[in-house]
Amino acid sequence: MSQPFRTPYPGYDVLDKWDSPSFDDQTREVLRARRDPPPRRFLDPNQFALLEALCAVVIPQRRPEPVPIAPFIDAALHAGRGTGTRFATMPPERDAWLRGLEAIDAEARAAFDGRGFCELVRPKQARLLRSIDRGDCRAPEAWQEMPPQKFFRALLLKQIVQIYYSAPAAMSEIGYGGPASPRGYVRLKVGQIDPWEAPFGTWEDQA
Amino acid sequence: MTHDRIYDTFRRRTRRPVGGIGLGAIVAGVGLGFVAAGLAARRPRSANPVKRSRNKREALRLGRDGAAIMGASVLFDSALEHLRGDFRRDEMYVAPLTGATAMAAALAEPRRRKRGRVLEVTHLSSVGIGIAGMGFHLRNISRRPGGISWNNLFYAAPLGAPGALIMSGLFGMVTHRMAQAEGYEHLHGRELACLTALALVAESGEVALLHFRGAFHDKAMYLPVTLPPLAAAGLMAQAIYPHRHFRRPLTLLLRAVEGLGYVGTGFHALGVARNSAGWRNWRQTTLAGPPMPAPISFAGLGKTGRAALDLLAVGEDQPRQNKERAAI
Amino acid sequence: MTQDAPRNDRPRAVNGHAPDVFKREGQVPMREYPKNAPVDFVIVGAGCGGSVLAAKLAEAGMSVVLFDAGPFFQPRRDFASDEREQEKLYWLDPRISDGDDPIELGANNSGRAVGGSSVHFQMVSLRFRPEWFKARSKLGYGRDWPVDWREMWRYYDEVEEALKISGPIRYPWGPDRGRYPYREHEVNEAGLVLARGAEALGVDWAPTPLCTVSAPSGKSPPCAYRGMCKIGCSINAKQSMLITYVPRAIKAGAEVRDLAMVGRIETGADGRATGVSYYRDGKWRFQKAENVVAAGYSIETPRLLLNSSTAQHPQGLGNADGLVGRNLMVHANDAVWGEFDEEIRWYKGPPSMATCEHWNYADDDPSKNFDGGYSFMSQGPLPGDFAGTLTSSTGMFGDDLLEAMGRYNRMAGLKMVGESMPQVDNRVTLADETDELGLPRAKVTHSFCDNDRRLQGHGRKFMSRMMRAAGGKNLFETQSTAHLMGGCPMGDDPETSVTDDMGRVWNVDNLWICDGSLMPTGGGVNPAMTILANAARIADRIIDARFD
Repeated sequence: MSQPFRTPYPGYDVLDKWDSPSFDDQTREVLRARRDPPPRRFLDPNQFALLEALCAVVIPQRRPEPVPIAPFIDAALHAGRGTGTRFATMPPERDAWLRGLEAIDAEARAAFDGRGFCELVRPKQARLLRSIDRGDCRAPEAWQEMPPQKFFRALLLKQIVQIYYSAPAAMSEIGYGGPASPRGYVRLKVGQIDPWEAPFGTWEDQA
Repeated sequence: MTHDRIYDTFRRRTRRPVGGIGLGAIVAGVGLGFVAAGLAARRPRSANPVKRSRNKREALRLGRDGAAIMGASVLFDSALEHLRGDFRRDEMYVAPLTGATAMAAALAEPRRRKRGRVLEVTHLSSVGIGIAGMGFHLRNISRRPGGISWNNLFYAAPLGAPGALIMSGLFGMVTHRMAQAEGYEHLHGRELACLTALALVAESGEVALLHFRGAFHDKAMYLPVTLPPLAAAGLMAQAIYPHRHFRRPLTLLLRAVEGLGYVGTGFHALGVARNSAGWRNWRQTTLAGPPMPAPISFAGLGKTGRAALDLLAVGEDQPRQNKERAAI
Repeated sequence: MTQDAPRNDRPRAVNGHAPDVFKREGQVPMREYPKNAPVDFVIVGAGCGGSVLAAKLAEAGMSVVLFDAGPFFQPRRDFASDEREQEKLYWLDPRISDGDDPIELGANNSGRAVGGSSVHFQMVSLRFRPEWFKARSKLGYGRDWPVDWREMWRYYDEVEEALKISGPIRYPWGPDRGRYPYREHEVNEAGLVLARGAEALGVDWAPTPLCTVSAPSGKSPPCAYRGMCKIGCSINAKQSMLITYVPRAIKAGAEVRDLAMVGRIETGADGRATGVSYYRDGKWRFQKAENVVAAGYSIETPRLLLNSSTAQHPQGLGNADGLVGRNLMVHANDAVWGEFDEEIRWYKGPPSMATCEHWNYADDDPSKNFDGGYSFMSQGPLPGDFAGTLTSSTGMFGDDLLEAMGRYNRMAGLKMVGESMPQVDNRVTLADETDELGLPRAKVTHSFCDNDRRLQGHGRKFMSRMMRAAGGKNLFETQSTAHLMGGCPMGDDPETSVTDDMGRVWNVDNLWICDGSLMPTGGGVNPAMTILANAARIADRIIDARFD
């Protein structure tokens, strides 16, 4: 397992710009609405708990108020919001999620003496996901023809990271400028930053 | 305490050590300039009013104001542009500082005796620093990918900008010399006409480049690349072959060029307003939009041009004046 | 918010008014046409093809109704600085993607809004190489266009002027193209990575001609370098169809019907088109027309033609030879990413500010082992987009992913737009299942051929070399696709093409196509300008034919 991630930009928060020209009304409205995660409506409590456990492995968050991810996936499934693509090898999106969640749990049980995914410790959960990504499956029948890697990468990982990195906290930890309308940027060259950007970051490999 | 904290914040933000000091120095320079301006406002009255024709006094005043305006333009324009460049090198503070001293020195003119040396040195150093600045800018451009490419000419350090500093110094010198000497008005007039003509052409060249970058999206953007070269041609003609003919329309043209400086500032303010969110987003738009302090240098050149014409007139009137004086 | 309840579910171009795209609130007057009297032209799709055609035909005095399945946005009110919210710009209805190399649709290539994909395209505004219009006879691959390059180049001039393309003064490749209407933008650091690499390898590079203004134009402010072009320009610097040709069309008397999904082109007993059936505001309606133009791009246009079958056109309109939907092309969008010591901060400015078209013109290079060409550009993906790229290509997650994303500001990338060959088996068909309106979903089948793969491999190798030469470390490669071309190619021969050289469907003389699906080959550059220029050309041809 790798080192816990430490942000190169401690102290930087895109939300400090909330009242500045970097934020416009529509962006504030979107972020405000997202502050209260939607209620669970599509998955059942067990499936939802499993999804939350998956989100926590994919994006380990050590902040006091973690960015909610699972509720937005549930809401998208409830609303039938698609991605525009359904690979022919994949079932429709809702079925894919239900089948995928069930299969991941089945994989856990097959690999760890009948213990479900949620009951595993984090390193074991991660190891399991890595073997699923490799296509190294112990409960192939649970996938019902759905390619595990396709589900894992194209749906599960992709949706989780896209939700996470649209959250201000995630933008801040990578030093991204965040919302930028109507104010954009002036200084475009290396070594130059606008006062409303993150200060220069520090990385261990170049301390 | 507070200064330390500001300094600290600035350094953390930019990784540059001099921030606070440099900005402080610029503010001090601006203050110095205005003090000098205040002193200067009283000067012409106290300075040896006798023996000087009205035309000569007018010429001195115009020359002084012209040089000071050029200095002020450099001060504010380079402060703005170097702020955009984040003052990432210490040398970048030199430009606005020199602009401030150039303005101050120009406003301290005209003097006849004491402390003249200091002013002369200041004018000369403006010229020197202007030339060095051009060198820096050329180096900045040539180090970028593309070298002397349009993209770098448009967006890297502007090659022509330090020229305004050179001009400000030269105008200061001429004003200085014409204040000290009597009887050389015609020569000084020709010099000043020639210098102003060159400055107008150079300035128009810079404007042409930048307005070309802006695709001349507004027809008014053609004005500063047409009127000043016309005026420059007229002035050059006067420098080579001083002649009373055409001087009157030329004066009008120079007044128009001067007006362009003021109107241009207004246009640039409107230009800033046309950027995303306009003045509300001033921290971006005053840097990204048209530079507010740039057009005013035309006002300076309009004035020095008229000063040149006045001096020529003084020179041409002199034999007559002397005769009149002898008759009394 | 959109996850729960779509806010943009009511048509806005109604009651004689259309939204004023330059304001947060406010409307502009719009002419409306009765449904039961035939209008001169019904155009289906308000993207790069349909908008240009609508504006030019309306300006020539014809009555035009322009349909789009998507909403009529007001950028300054509706476009947030938020990747997830802005997914509302994409065609998110599922299409089924099949084949050996199934392509990703949605955000990658399909818009669903008045203005089409131009609302979220990355504004790269390149021209085809002249020889590509005769690829078969001059370069020995693909197909010939039924158009001379010089004619196309005149129309490139026209649309570039209309969109105030900001481009370099000297473009290093191809014949002289005159001066772009607006000057090039300042190249950001991500672009200079490409520039440094190109100079190290001794190939040309150029500031990318971009469809966002570098100085004020009309009601558009100059680009503020927000870097969010792919999720819609909220300040209107981007010259999308939504703020250029669509307002022009409305001003000239065209009617726009937003949130109007055209399901069928109806034909009469004589086999000619009589109008379109469309779903708007809760029910199916019918608009009569003298002429119908399909301009829904390479998936929706074939889908519409195929779904309009009748006893007389049993396989769908224009599909007697089974060609509709075939020869669909994409661009290979393979990329090389690298890490730098200093902070590039690639999120500033439009994503692709520098470009290299070297391999579109280097016919004689001994290392060139493929037909066709490719260009590549510097990159600046938004965080969610880049995270998705990382995970879908590497499968990384956990602290590894956070760590990799922690280097976001130190990354740079080069991404290719690689030509792929037209192949009859790459095609759009109708799936068995239907969408919410009961229309059969589109099924897209796509596989690359050997030449495509050689080209992609060559591109990845060359871009890696360049990235290293520019100082990039820890490189990794990703594979993807972008853009759509073909599906209903135009041509001189009815046996091998769907329309004639002016987009008129063979055998249905009042049915036209005007969008990217007409393209017989894809070229190695982003297709937007070519689609626009072709639409402007078709408009002039229609106007000429009508007034002769």
